Amino acid sequence: MRKTQTPASGSATLTSPMSDRVVEVSGLRKIYKVHERQSGLGATVRSLVKRTFKEVQAVAGIDFAIERGEVVGFLGPNGAGKTTTLKMLSGLLYPTSGTATVLGYTPWDRRDEYLRRMTLLMGNRTQLVWDIPAADSFLVLKEIFRIDDKSYQRRFDDLVELLELQPLIHKPVRQLSLGERMKVEFAAGLLHAPEVVFLDEPTLGLDVSMQVRIRGFVRELNKRTGATVLLTSHYMDDIVALCKRVIVIHHGKLLYDGGLADLAERMAPYKLVAATLRDGAADADLSKYGEIVSRDAGRVTLRVPRAQAADQTARIVGELGPDLADLTLEDPAIEEVIDRVFSGDHPFGTPEREPVAAR
Amino acid sequence: MNLARIYRALLLAGFQQAAQYRIQSLLWMLFAIIRPVIFLAAWVAVAAAQGGDIGGYKVGDFAAYFVCMTFVSQLTMAWNSHEFEWEVNQGRLSAKLLRPLHPLHYSVVENLVFKLNTLPVLVVVLILISISFGAIYRTQPWHVIAFIPSVLLAAALLFTFNWVIASLAFWATRMRTANTLFQRASFVFAGQIAPIGLMPGWLQALSYALPFWYMMGAPTEILRGGVTVEQLPLILAGQAAWLVVTLFAFSWIWRRGVRAYSAVGA
Amino acid sequence: MAARRARVLSGGRVRRYARIIGTFVAAEAKNEMAYRLNLALSVFESFLVIGTSLGAVLVLFTHSTSLNGWTLPQMVTLTGVYYLIQGGVSIVFQPSFEKLMEHVRMGTLDFTLLKPANAQILLSTRHFALIRGADLVMGFTVVAVGLYMLSASVTALSLVTFIVTLFCGLMCVYALMLSLVTLSFWFVRIDNIMAIFYAFTDAGRFPVDLYPGWLRFTLTTVVPIGIAVTVPAEAISGRMSYETFVGMLIGTVLAVGAASWFWRIGLRNYTGASA
Repeated sequence: MRKTQTPASGSATLTSPMSDRVVEVSGLRKIYKVHERQSGLGATVRSLVKRTFKEVQAVAGIDFAIERGEVVGFLGPNGAGKTTTLKMLSGLLYPTSGTATVLGYTPWDRRDEYLRRMTLLMGNRTQLVWDIPAADSFLVLKEIFRIDDKSYQRRFDDLVELLELQPLIHKPVRQLSLGERMKVEFAAGLLHAPEVVFLDEPTLGLDVSMQVRIRGFVRELNKRTGATVLLTSHYMDDIVALCKRVIVIHHGKLLYDGGLADLAERMAPYKLVAATLRDGAADADLSKYGEIVSRDAGRVTLRVPRAQAADQTARIVGELGPDLADLTLEDPAIEEVIDRVFSGDHPFGTPEREPVAAR
Repeated sequence: MNLARIYRALLLAGFQQAAQYRIQSLLWMLFAIIRPVIFLAAWVAVAAAQGGDIGGYKVGDFAAYFVCMTFVSQLTMAWNSHEFEWEVNQGRLSAKLLRPLHPLHYSVVENLVFKLNTLPVLVVVLILISISFGAIYRTQPWHVIAFIPSVLLAAALLFTFNWVIASLAFWATRMRTANTLFQRASFVFAGQIAPIGLMPGWLQALSYALPFWYMMGAPTEILRGGVTVEQLPLILAGQAAWLVVTLFAFSWIWRRGVRAYSAVGA
Repeated sequence: MAARRARVLSGGRVRRYARIIGTFVAAEAKNEMAYRLNLALSVFESFLVIGTSLGAVLVLFTHSTSLNGWTLPQMVTLTGVYYLIQGGVSIVFQPSFEKLMEHVRMGTLDFTLLKPANAQILLSTRHFALIRGADLVMGFTVVAVGLYMLSASVTALSLVTFIVTLFCGLMCVYALMLSLVTLSFWFVRIDNIMAIFYAFTDAGRFPVDLYPGWLRFTLTTVVPIGIAVTVPAEAISGRMSYETFVGMLIGTVLAVGAASWFWRIGLRNYTGASA
């Protein structure tokens, strides 16, 4: 049975009259031109003479704004445009059209002052020097980012403690395991206490316990320093554990921007009723109560529209009486919700809220 | 200035790193030595056939020339045009672009560290070669003094020029051709085949016009003592002029390259 | 080349190997054609490198009519042979051997060993780096130019001995490379050793008798690029002595035999280890 995820409860973005918008994105668009390469000897010879291009819209015009201190998750399947968006916000990529401002800077101007106040951490990409201990690479970063001795020592100690780096930082980076290396890369990226942290697939390729630790670390980071965090992931656990607010991107378009709990309510406005029947009544037909999702050795799972959930549950209890051994009422798994969002499925019955359209 | 502190930190890290690559460094040195020794052997044979003297160069002069050439080419070498393509493709450039430091600085340090590490052994080997081939040095004290600015200019020129070529990696699908072109042009015009004075007239003229001789041949001749006092200012001026031109070229191409890179993504 | 060796064995195997190698060539050709510019540029590079090398030889000869007894036409031919050998090695041997070392390092050698064909031959010819054909073509051209310059003195005998010694030279280099690669069974990372040998091959561009004793010895035995280039050049220039020819033949047979034997030991060791 699929484990049910409980989305982080809480409302969507905090807004106040004096809102401090750290990230503002408007009409951001990124179009790539790609060579078309075909197989077959004939096509290859033809391509010697003439080449064809294809336009790919990686990001098809998106708008959103993020306040200081938020932890926002970018959710989307591979190729959705999440990493591309992050690269534009960190200044590595410049857009085809549209604007974006982070901390008041245009990221792709790549001003030194901007670079000192932000960081982009990309999963398993190494930026540390391979052959020397991380601690020594840190000293180089200290100078590059102009961190004074006292702040450096304090942050160094904090990061070593938070990420449990003590046994790792004096070993050459090449000798560390993937998980250890990622922790050290994290620390390297945060030495200069950036106000904005972009995380691209931070838990990719890590084992479960390391994933949990990284999540805990990001949460601590946000709590202690108030850094604004934007993370992309296709692990639902990351998003669920860290983000109150989620931005869903698919085919370069923004499908949803709001609280995770709201997402579930809008995209999958139903509840799952699981009724366990006693041996005698295992064949009972429960289809009148709702859509049967699965039937498994006396345990029947039904999909029931939210509005009717309470009534149907009461009916089941009343009408089945002693034949009912157990009854549970659950929210749909977040993965299921997300799958529906991406596949464009409309959940049964209720009129669907239009996806937040891109301009 | 903060840049000084950055360099100090980078150099420290660089030396730590280089300690792990002792053998590779020595190998590079071997490559550097074999080519001049081969050509030296050839010229010694040619000189022997002509009674020991060619165009004013005796066997000992050839030996001194190629020894100095090896020394100078080690002092001025740069290899970014070979590695930069890899950096771009691997996304390592992105990591550097995210930091508030021009990527060039990393390679300056890397360059310095390698040279400082390999120089001691190289000097020893070159002394041995000098002795075994009977090298004759016509160096005066002022030659040695003039050598210092000349070799510095030459190193800066070669480094920057190499970076201009490296920057082509932003667009080129095949860097190998650019590298081969540069290497062969150096081979012909920088004096690696023979002292420029022995090259055909038209090649000589081209050598003095193009930047390559100023990267290697010029300091070599100064160190060997093959340059007169009158010629020195012209040589230094030529080096400086080419350096300025190359710096402008690099600045222009780098900026356009990073823009192109940022259009396609790291 | 492998076909030639197989002829010594038996007729059926020839056809089989020829077919196998044929598929390798076709696969590589298709792959390489896809890189359209690469081909043209590769030719250009070859032209540049060989052209400037010839230029260097010409500069030498503006000051003398002989280089240690070698005349200009003879030196041109030698330069052509040098690049011919380089081209031959880089087309056939180098890519395959590099892949082989990778297999040994990754432990994926087993796939090839399971195929029902002589592992040594398969592995040696697997990757035709056709793109390096440019060196070979240029090498041939230069040799042809040299031969033309020598035309008065080229005889049928010298032509035949030239081809034979050229083949021998290639086989000597093959033997060397095979031995080096065999070392990788024990010392997984032998890149440094290979680099040293590559450095020495540069010396093949001049006749081996040019060099001081120790270097001449090295280039004749340990890194046989010296004899691989000089002997064929001597053959076609009519400078080769009977003793040299015989010595070359015997040396080649010994070298290839020893290298193959060494390889078989390494292979046995490797498969024994992973069993």
